[in-house]
Amino acid sequence: MAEVATDEDLVVLTVPADGAYLSVLRTATAGLAARLHFTLDEIEDLRIAVDEACAMLLAGAPPYTELTCRFEVTQDTLTVAVSVPNTGQRLPGTETFAWMVLTALAGSVTSDVSDGHATIWLTKKRDGT
Amino acid sequence: MTEVTGRPTAAARRPRPTVANIPRPAPAYAEQATTRELLDRLARLPRGDGHWSALRAEIVRRHLSLVRALAWRFRDRGEDLDDLIQVATLGLLHAVDRFDPDRGAEFTTYATPTIVGELKRHLRDRAGAVRVPRRLQERHAAISRASVDLYQRLGRSPTVHELAAETGLTDEEVLEALEGARAHTTVPLDATDPAESHDTADALDGIEYRAALRPLLDRLPPRDKRILVLRFFAHRTQSEIAAELGISQVQVSRLLTRTLTTLRTALAD
Repeated sequence: MAEVATDEDLVVLTVPADGAYLSVLRTATAGLAARLHFTLDEIEDLRIAVDEACAMLLAGAPPYTELTCRFEVTQDTLTVAVSVPNTGQRLPGTETFAWMVLTALAGSVTSDVSDGHATIWLTKKRDGT
Repeated sequence: MTEVTGRPTAAARRPRPTVANIPRPAPAYAEQATTRELLDRLARLPRGDGHWSALRAEIVRRHLSLVRALAWRFRDRGEDLDDLIQVATLGLLHAVDRFDPDRGAEFTTYATPTIVGELKRHLRDRAGAVRVPRRLQERHAAISRASVDLYQRLGRSPTVHELAAETGLTDEEVLEALEGARAHTTVPLDATDPAESHDTADALDGIEYRAALRPLLDRLPPRDKRILVLRFFAHRTQSEIAAELGISQVQVSRLLTRTLTTLRTALAD
C-alpha cells in the first residue's frame, strides 16, 4: 500500500440513491480508513456510521436520484460527506438517538439541508496512537 | 464396536436410537465372516434393530478405506477433506441400506457410484451457496489470531498495516480478507443470561433518552441490547465489547449493524 497522502486527497463516488449500493460505499470507507492507519475498531465504526448516515438520507431522497459520497483524506482525518437531493424532508435532530449513534461512531458530525440537497458530514480523526 | 459415524448428517438419517436398537457390539462371528455374508445377514434382519445396527457398522468399518479414497479424489474442489469423508460415509450408508445381495453384484461395485454420486451432489449443492474461498478462510483465521494477540499487546485494536506486518500478508490482502469475513461471519447463538447485566443497567442509568427508545431497547435480545448499550451509552470500543462477550470484533460489528437497522426501522414507524 502506498504511503499516506501528504496533502488532501479527494475521492468522490456517486451511486444510485438505493440501499443496494451502500456496500460499495462501506467498502470504499474501509479501504480509505485503512490507508490512514485507522484501527480496526475505528474502521468498523466508520463503516457503520456511513451506513447510518446514508440510511438517514435515503429515507428522504426522491426515487431515481443519486447519492454522492465524497471522501476527503488528509494525514490523520477522514471526512465523509454524503449527499442526496432533498425535497423538503428534514434530517433527524441532534438530540435524537440516531444522531447520538452517528456522533459516537464518527466523532464529529454536521448536517445541512440547502440548495435542494441534504448532506451529512462525518469527520473521524485518527487516534493519537 | 462403536458407531462409525457419529457426525450429525449421518446421524440425522439413522434410525433414532431406542433401547431396542442401540448398536450392540458386533457379534464374534462378524469378525471372521466375509462382507458378503454380513450383507446377506443384514438384509434378513429387521432394520433399526440393535443387531442390524452392529452389523451395519461393521460393514461400514470395512469400507472406510474406500470412502477415504473416493473422498480424496474430490479434494481439490475447495471443500474440507473431513467434510468430504463425512459425505462419502453417508453415501456408503445409503449403499449398504439399498444393496440387494440377491442381485449378485459385488458390494464395492454397487457402493462406488453411490458414494461418488453423494459427493458430487454435495459439491453441486455447495456451489449454489455463497462460499468463502479456502485461501480467504485461512487468511481470516490468521488475521483473527493476530488481531487478538495485537489487541492484548497494544491495548487497542490494531491497524490493517500492523495486522499485515504480523501475518506476513500485504495490507491489501488483509483488507480483502476482512471484507470477506464481514460478509460471511456468522454469529454464535445468543447464550446470554436474559437478566439484564449490571453493565447494561449501569450504563443506562441516569441517561436521558427518548421515550420511544426505551421500549425498543427492552425488546431487543439481551446480547444485542448489551452490545448496543456498551457501545453507545458506556462508550466502549468494539474490541473491548468483543473481549468481554467472548466473540470476535467482526461479530460485534455485525450485531451492532443489525441492531441499529432494527431500531431504525422501528423508530421510523
